[in-house]
Amino acid sequence: MQAQKLEVAIDSIRVRFGSQALTRAAELPPPQPWLSGTAVDHLTGIGGLPRGRLALFTGSGTSGKLTLALALLAGATREFAHALVIDGGGFDPLALTSFSPELGALTVVRAPTPEIAGETAATLARAGAGFLLLTCEIPEHWLGPLESGANRSGTVIVGVIDTPSRALAHASSFSLGFSRRDWIWERGLLVGLRTSARCVKNRVAPPLGETELEIRYPLGTRPLTDYPQLVTEKPIHAAELESCVSAVV
Amino acid sequence: MRVCCGLTAHLELARRPDLYGIPVIVGRWDEHVVAASEEAQASGVLPGMALRQAEHLCPQATFVLPDEEAVVRIRELVSAALYDLAPIVEVRDEGIAWLDLSGVMKPGESIRAARHRLLKAIGREPRLGLAPGPFSARIAASRARPGRLLRIADAREFLAPLPSRELPLDAEQQERLDLLGLRTLGAVAAMGPRELESQLGHEGRHAVLLARGLEPDPLEAWRPPLFTSAHRQFGEPVGDREALLFVARALCGDLADELGLRGAGAKHVRVRLVFESTESDQRETIVRHPLSSTAELFGLVGSWIKEWKPRAPIAELWIELPVLEGAGRRQLRLWAGGDGSSDEVIAAMERLQERFGDDVVWKLPLSIHGEVAPPHSWGGGAQRQRGRAGAELA
Repeated sequence: MQAQKLEVAIDSIRVRFGSQALTRAAELPPPQPWLSGTAVDHLTGIGGLPRGRLALFTGSGTSGKLTLALALLAGATREFAHALVIDGGGFDPLALTSFSPELGALTVVRAPTPEIAGETAATLARAGAGFLLLTCEIPEHWLGPLESGANRSGTVIVGVIDTPSRALAHASSFSLGFSRRDWIWERGLLVGLRTSARCVKNRVAPPLGETELEIRYPLGTRPLTDYPQLVTEKPIHAAELESCVSAVV
Repeated sequence: MRVCCGLTAHLELARRPDLYGIPVIVGRWDEHVVAASEEAQASGVLPGMALRQAEHLCPQATFVLPDEEAVVRIRELVSAALYDLAPIVEVRDEGIAWLDLSGVMKPGESIRAARHRLLKAIGREPRLGLAPGPFSARIAASRARPGRLLRIADAREFLAPLPSRELPLDAEQQERLDLLGLRTLGAVAAMGPRELESQLGHEGRHAVLLARGLEPDPLEAWRPPLFTSAHRQFGEPVGDREALLFVARALCGDLADELGLRGAGAKHVRVRLVFESTESDQRETIVRHPLSSTAELFGLVGSWIKEWKPRAPIAELWIELPVLEGAGRRQLRLWAGGDGSSDEVIAAMERLQERFGDDVVWKLPLSIHGEVAPPHSWGGGAQRQRGRAGAELA
């Protein structure tokens, strides 16, 4: 009954103000992708990370999510005028050097409290920063300004959080869950890990399930051309498609 | 330096795409050959030889008179089409387009776009060469297949086995090179610049530098022209304001298309109404921000025409843009993402520092090798963003 009333109301608005006055969210075009050049591009369903939206990498420690995020950050420093890290503590810039970042474009914001992290993230997204890497939680009341600011400016936001709060998980448009499968040893040395990256939420395109990534820890500074090979992707498991949560808003 | 060269047909030949595939010779009677198609060159016809000789060598060729004005127009169009792909673009009448890709973030995309645009402008697949300088890039392009790119890393090594005929020397100088036994560029490169200068003059020194891949000739960057205008002459003098507005909008559209091609914007706008008696009335203004779209131009011109009270029917309408400059979207492809809002981000960081203290925002100090300096050098703490936009705060 309510659905019928809603339909009638929508029809009357369209008759009165034109067919474009109301648009279903599902019919809206997907956000523009930022082509990161990593395997994550295939998982989003739009060929890149969504601009103006929050993407989350979740999972327990040592599952490879931060290494992947650092590769994205290094790529962003070469493409954007400003790439920023909102660091709740523990971000090590030296870990980034192996990905050959453009350090002139990189700024680290030390946020001792979640409140500062939230305000800085929202302010910088609204100002038009190209890429934001969040390594800490954002309070719920800052998520709205962060989303709207990023949406307006097209900022790519990637959050790396072990276990995100319900509010943060809800605010994200794309979420990848990482779980380590096994370590990669070569000649007695630990050189990387195999991890399963599972799309647990996708509001920008139909979900693409799960894939296995082989993440090699960068050893020393490598030339730019080698960097995409640090993360290699195995074929997506089609059988897992149904288990993914998906909604388009 | 990294230069891409796109080699197409001579622009005189590009005027007549309907003659592609058959031998064509461009030149005036009793003068020299200006350009010859590949099919004519296969018969031995070369640019610069006497037209009579060319006719003797290739009697079945179609002979076309040169048209310098048309060539200039095509060159401008091709230059404008390539303008936003590289900071420096140079196009020559011989069908050579150079793009200096130094500093371009995605050179591959620029090369692909250059190929498509040259194909669209000239109607033939260009041969592409990528090398450290214009000379080696042109030679590389001449050896590439149509639509393909030949990439050269070491210019000297690539040039060494090639014949010395590739050097830009006249016939007499080429003959002297031959007599000296310098038949390859490698042999020329092995000579000292002074030695060859004593034989061939200044061109000798230049030739040695070219053969060594030192690229002594810089590219001359094409710049958008500084003046443009559009006008319409009416068959019958017009007194109707609506008709005038309609024509003005069309002229603004033409001008906007042209400005768009050239990546330029109008800084000064002038509208001139010419009456039947050849007297004219005009209005002009200097605008603060360059106008480049139809809406922007017609917004100004249309408002003038709406309030204008001409004293007689109008025979001609002129819209002139005497001063052009780079529009907001000039060479935008070359910008890094977010450059446009860079100042806003820096201002936002300053505000955050004022609220939460200087230590909130950190720029990583760079070591001498462009890497992150070791942690012990971070002891000085963060420094203020203010007044240091774009510089690392080491």
